[in-house]
Amino acid sequence: MLRMEIALFLVLAFIACIYFSAGRKNTPLHKTFSLLLLTALVHLALDSVTVYTVHHLEAVPGVLNDAVHRLFLGSMVLVIYLFYQYIAILVEEETGKPRRLDRPAGIFLAVAELGNFLLPISYTVTPDGNYSSGPYMLVPYGAVAFYLLLCAGLLAVNRRQIDKKKKSVIGIALTIEFVVCILQGLKHTWLISGMGITLMTLSFYLTLENPDILRAELTEQKMSMLYLKSQVNPHFLYNTLDTIRIQAQLNGDKTVADLLMRLVDFFRLSVKVDRQMVALDDELELLEAYMDLMCSRYPDLRCVYDIDPDLGGMQVPNFILQPIVENSLLHGLKNKGYRGEVRISAQAASGQRMEILVCDTGSGFAEGKKAAIDQMLLNFSKQPAKLEGSSIGILNVQKRIKLLCDREYGLSYTENPAGGVTAHLLLPMKEDVQ
Amino acid sequence: MKKLRVLLVDDEIMIREGFKRLFDWEAHDCAVVSEAADGMEALAQIDTLRPDIVIMDINIPIMNGLKVIQLSRIKHPGTAFVIVSGYDDFSYCREALRLQITDYILKPVNYEEFGACIDNLKISLFERRVAAAAPEKQEERTISGITKFLQAHLAEEISLSVLAEQFHLNPQYISQLFKSEIGVNFLAYLTNIRMEKAKKLLLSTSLSITEIAQQCGYGDYRVFTKVFKKTEGSTPSQYRRDFLEDTGAAAR
Repeated sequence: MLRMEIALFLVLAFIACIYFSAGRKNTPLHKTFSLLLLTALVHLALDSVTVYTVHHLEAVPGVLNDAVHRLFLGSMVLVIYLFYQYIAILVEEETGKPRRLDRPAGIFLAVAELGNFLLPISYTVTPDGNYSSGPYMLVPYGAVAFYLLLCAGLLAVNRRQIDKKKKSVIGIALTIEFVVCILQGLKHTWLISGMGITLMTLSFYLTLENPDILRAELTEQKMSMLYLKSQVNPHFLYNTLDTIRIQAQLNGDKTVADLLMRLVDFFRLSVKVDRQMVALDDELELLEAYMDLMCSRYPDLRCVYDIDPDLGGMQVPNFILQPIVENSLLHGLKNKGYRGEVRISAQAASGQRMEILVCDTGSGFAEGKKAAIDQMLLNFSKQPAKLEGSSIGILNVQKRIKLLCDREYGLSYTENPAGGVTAHLLLPMKEDVQ
Repeated sequence: MKKLRVLLVDDEIMIREGFKRLFDWEAHDCAVVSEAADGMEALAQIDTLRPDIVIMDINIPIMNGLKVIQLSRIKHPGTAFVIVSGYDDFSYCREALRLQITDYILKPVNYEEFGACIDNLKISLFERRVAAAAPEKQEERTISGITKFLQAHLAEEISLSVLAEQFHLNPQYISQLFKSEIGVNFLAYLTNIRMEKAKKLLLSTSLSITEIAQQCGYGDYRVFTKVFKKTEGSTPSQYRRDFLEDTGAAAR
């Protein structure tokens, strides 16, 4: 029997390792679960010890045996109490109703612990194995019955407000513990209480506390926030900006009016394109609006275009140039105080392909940065989905080109002999609308 | 040429003020005679004032701009309607074109470029006058001879001096003629009919941009693309694709 206890201890220890190594917020729910994990570990360790001592009654001094048994069942009551706490907090978070049963639960815990250490204990020896018995056994059964009833009650009263997944998890955990206790009650020699505790903890961990699930939920939340942010009615935005522009021009401020005009252009163009593929001309129009604004913010910044007009109608993935140019500005020219030039050129290449170059006179790659970026662009599909960071823009561009055109096309970087970097966008030359 | 009378319709006072004060109406032989802030007001103003040009926003209270045009069209066939809209949406554009509006421009309005829109409007008013007048009377007029000649020789290099030689007239006089008969200068007129031809070719043929540029008298297609972009708001290939996509969507 000892082997099972050791195995359960190792399983839970492994889970605790994963759980504590994943950084998470300090919510009451997570705090309770951490405490639960630690107490369950102590409980399982004591479980192993008692399984040994109860089978070596002659070798182990009676006092020591009593002590570990009392500690063992004391920790079990505590674990069950923490289970109740965990479920109560979960229900509170779901329903928004404050917990009202904390006081009776706490009082019961104190009474149970007191009983555990005061009630007399005895040992029953059978051919199948030994087990502890006596009046003190009232404590664990009483505690399990009391707290399971509380949990079941909480679940029943708030069943409508609780998320389906959480409801089923709590239900399953309670059923497991209930069945295990019944079996233990019928077959005293089985000594399987530790299994019940482990399985309950495991079911909570796998469904509610799993770091991967938590991370996915966090990402989803963030995504929907971003989505909501982008839902500000664009017409409202650029109609208002237009009104401001006219007011500025009426006040005689032509410079401000012109800047606002370009800003409105930029917004209008960026909300207009809902297609996956757009004409190169459309892309360049958006880029021009962006660069005009940047150049007026930084007067020493210049932008030169050298576009073969025959390529204007070619279909390219939407929104690929602006992120590249923005990257050149933020990581190249910014370090030079925005003094320099961005040259955007597009020319036909061999085999029905074309190449768009974004060449800047910025600071170039930092030591080792080029290799890191090359590696990232090469293994674009293995990169985790990121929501921010400096490389999100170019990674996104790479992913979309590979997806919408073909694997042979894509983005790469080279270093200019005279300083700065050049982004190479290799794209197919196709003009059809579809 | 008498001054063209303009009615401004927009529910935002700032937009109307902008139009009124930031565009040089005087230089384009126009005068803003009144303003309206909603559809009903616009309808009433059109009936009483009979303006030559109505600058019309689509999204206005009580009755939308397209409805106003639809109702006024029958009573005032001579009025030119220019739609100015923030609704960057081709479905509006299509409906507007069905109502035979003169032009469709998008907010934000660039007041410098708005002049080209007024020039186009004058040219179309001129063409309507020409079409309405008796043909035998037209033959005698110098200006109609010149415009016919221009239409026929669009692919060639044309200047005032070429016209002067062809018609045995003083270049200055021809320039004056354009201003007085059509209300726009020679170059604006020439650019307009070149662009009209280009649009026709873009939509009805599959000629390359370079070939179309040549047929419309632009040796350098870069210059053509630039001019086209300035007057139409989109590049030639965008223009062609937007149309194809739209008819494709309508057919589906």
